[in-house]
This record gives sequence, C-alpha cells and structure tokens, in this order.
Amino acid sequence: MNTRIFRTEVRDELLGIVREPTALFFSVLVPVAFFALFATMFGGDGGFGAESLATYGAFGVLSVVLINPGISLADARERGWLRVKRADGTPLGVMLSAKVTAALPYAIVTLAGITLVARLTAGPLDVPQVLRVIGVLILGALPFSLFSLAVGARFSLNAAISVLNALLIPSVILSGLWFPLEMLPTWLGDIAVYLPPYHLAQLALAQVEGGAVWGHVAYLVGTTIVGAIAAALAYRSAEV
Amino acid sequence: MEHVLEVRGLVHRYGDHTALAGVDLTVESGECVALLGPNGAGKTTLVRNVIGLIEGKADLIEVAGGNPRSAETRRRLGVVQQAVGFPRSLTVGEIVGGAATRRGCPPEAASQAIAEMGLAGLEKRRAAKLSGGQQQRLQLAMGLVADPVLLVLDEPTEGLDVEARRRFWNTIRRRLDDGAGVLITTHLVEEAAAVADRVVVVDRGRVVAEGTPDELRRTLPDRRISVQTQVPVSVIRALDFVESAELRDGRTVIATTDSEQVVRTLLDLDPEATDLTVATASLEEVLVAMTHHEEVLI
Repeated sequence: MNTRIFRTEVRDELLGIVREPTALFFSVLVPVAFFALFATMFGGDGGFGAESLATYGAFGVLSVVLINPGISLADARERGWLRVKRADGTPLGVMLSAKVTAALPYAIVTLAGITLVARLTAGPLDVPQVLRVIGVLILGALPFSLFSLAVGARFSLNAAISVLNALLIPSVILSGLWFPLEMLPTWLGDIAVYLPPYHLAQLALAQVEGGAVWGHVAYLVGTTIVGAIAAALAYRSAEV
Repeated sequence: MEHVLEVRGLVHRYGDHTALAGVDLTVESGECVALLGPNGAGKTTLVRNVIGLIEGKADLIEVAGGNPRSAETRRRLGVVQQAVGFPRSLTVGEIVGGAATRRGCPPEAASQAIAEMGLAGLEKRRAAKLSGGQQQRLQLAMGLVADPVLLVLDEPTEGLDVEARRRFWNTIRRRLDDGAGVLITTHLVEEAAAVADRVVVVDRGRVVAEGTPDELRRTLPDRRISVQTQVPVSVIRALDFVESAELRDGRTVIATTDSEQVVRTLLDLDPEATDLTVATASLEEVLVAMTHHEEVLI
C-alpha cells in the first residue's frame, strides 16, 4: 500500500512542477545557461569537457535538489496541506522521499542540458565516463535534499527560499564549482574541504581523472546521516 | 453503542500555557457531538489531538479502536480542518483520488465522494480555483472517501451557502444513520444544536457542561418575557421569580425563572399590557452564560 501512496505522492509532486514551471527556470535553465556561458568564454580549443561536467553538474544538481524539496515542503506547510496529509495517515517517510524523488528527474534534465553543451563545445565525450559522473551526481544528491527538507520543515515559504539560496550560492562558490579554487584567496579556498558540495564534485571528478574516492564517499555518507536526522527532527517538530 | 472516540484525562500544554486541563470526551457510533466554546477554549487543540496531529498526555485516547498517532487509525477517520489551502497544481479528481489511494480505497470511491458532495463535473478543475464553499465540500469529499467510522469536522460549514449547507447536513445525517460518529465544532451554534445528539461545552481547557441541547437550555433561568406595559420597571424587578427587568426600545424585557407566574402577575397589574411574547433562552445564550464571556462565541 505504501508503494501506491508513494507513486501518488511522486505524481502529485511532479504535476506541481510541470504545471507551475516558473520555479524551474532557476533550477534547470540557470545552471545550463551558466555552463554554456563559461564554456563559450573560457573553454578554449579543448572546450569544457567531462571535468567541467563534474563541477558544473554538481552545481546543476544542487540547484534542483537543495531548493525544490524544501520549497515544496514549506509551501505545503504554509497552506495547511501538510496538516491534511498528516491527518490522512500519509507516512512520514513516504511523503518526504516522494519530494526528494520528484526532484531527481529535473536534476537529470539539468545534467542532460549541461552534457549537451559540453558535447557541443568540447566535441565527443567518453560516454561511460559521462554516465559515471551523472550517476555519482544523482546518488550524491541525497544529503542535500535532506537538508532542503529540514529547512522546509522549519521556515516559512519566503524564509525557506531565502535560506536555501543563501546556502546554495556561497557553498557552490566556496566548493569550487563555479571557479577553480585556485582563483579564490587561500583562506577561502581552504574552507572547501569542509563543505559537502566540494566532496560531491571531487567524487564526480574522480570518475574522469581517477584518484581517491572513499574519503569523499565517507564525507557524503556522514552528511546524509546528519541530513536525515535534521530532516526527521525538523519535520516532527514542524508547526502544522 | 460502541465508542468510536474515547478520551480520558487529556492534558495538553504549550510551554507554560495549559490548553487542555484533563478533558474527557466520548463519541458513540451513530452519535453527533457538538464541541462548543469561546475562542481559545481548547477546541482546536482537542480536535488536533483526536486526529493525531499533536500528542498531549492522556490516561486514554482511542479513536476508532486505535491510537490516533498511528497511520492505520487515521485512515479510518474523515477530517475537515480549518484554513486548508489546496495545492495550486492539482485538480479535484486528483486530490480526492489521492485521498482514496492513501486510505487504500478503489478509484470509484473517489467518484462517489465527489458526487455525494455535489462536485461532479468539476473533477478536472484545479482545486485552488474553486470557490471557498466548493473547497470546503472538496475537503469533506476527501474525508468521506473511505466510509470513516468517525468524522471530525472543524468549522465545516464555514463559507457554505444555504443550499450547500443543507446538502452538507443531509450528508452528515446519512453518515450518522449508517453508524458513523461525528465530532463537530462550529460557531453556528443553533445549526449544530439541530443535528447534535449531545453538546459538550469547553472553556479554558475544561469541559464545563455536557448534555443534549434541551438539557443545556434548561440550565439557564429559562424564560425571557417581552411586553409593552405601563407597569414601571422598578415594580417589575421587585416581583417574585423575576431575575432582571429593563427597558429596550420601549418594551420591557424580563428574565424570569417562572414565566407563567410572572405573566399572570403582570396582567393583574396591567390588563392593557400588549405585544407579550415569551421566549426560551437560546443555546448561544446558555453558552455565553456558561463561559462567562459576553462577546461572540466560538
């Protein structure tokens, strides 16, 4: 029965995004446009290839999974719709995982757009490599969506939008997803290793360049656990 | 009769404020109980405990034979809550269909509930674009979708026009006949009294009175006499069985514990007295008296 409820919840979430698509402008279009702009300006002859797909792809995924689930939850709370769902007996895990799952197709669309730009600017890509990068980015999205839910459960809709964007933009810059860390002052660049987006991007990058992965995996697993606890606590104490 | 709701010793606190201070409440199968009281009396806190949204401390709180915090139990309830905004993107059919899915009902159950609440033909309309009254009916359609054993209705007729309200009460009566229990809060006191088998008055977190609407009405000095008479108010106030007397718009209004005796005395004093009416205290007046608030109820 929970499977049926989950399917219905995901459908409702997806319909919400498809029928009210304005929010997607920032989530999907902006990362792709950014990537196209940077690839055109700085790509050079080699273009923005799979390496850039890893870092800009991480930004693209974050712009969807860190923003959408939390906003959707805050909106449902503010409307009183969450009260209806709770009174209906919709299981907590089903409701929250549906919000996370519904964000994933849009993350995939974003990654597809970035991949297409990379292909156009850098020429043929190594398909298995690209698929590994995309797979890592999608799997690695989970902890960020959990933090998004925690914010959505605690803040009003307007506050949640501000808080989530305030989390997204600095962490993306400080993790080296827009510019190489070398371009930042050393003391700022040193912060990156403490930020989860950095580890997501490095894990994706390791699929292209090789290198150690388990440290990044451990960091993301730890972040997932903290995110899950934060989301569960925030949801349980959420005012409905 | 079987209890579909049983609450014993429910206490709920918000920080230092005690919203419910040991409330007992039962609703039986086929019974309609109206929960009345002034703003801030604790009605919504009680309702939210009953539907499992919040959890106070209680010796017992059993809804439809189970714990209201369990998803399984909640699926056996039909709930209408205050101030619910539907998602902008979903249609009537999708919303009631979703409610049916969550309760493990087939899609036909959604169609039936939509028809029962007079929303047939609006299945493809976005719920957020419905009128306030239609949205209220939509919420009730969600609540009715699984043949609930207990309907918990918080201000359910808010925003409904006369026809929709009549349809609503007819639906409630049918569900009562089918054996569902109903717990309702409303500010339309007399309307609730017409349907309720029992009224429970809550004030400052406690149940201060309980009984049938007639039993509660009888708790007030039972009659009010209105008359045009030459007898001075000061004389009337001195009569036996008169609680109070005053002039209002040229008429003398008398509160009395024995209207027949007072009317006889009055006509002896002034055989020319005209325009005499005797009225029972309304339930609303009873509630005002019980909860010591002069302003509007609920």
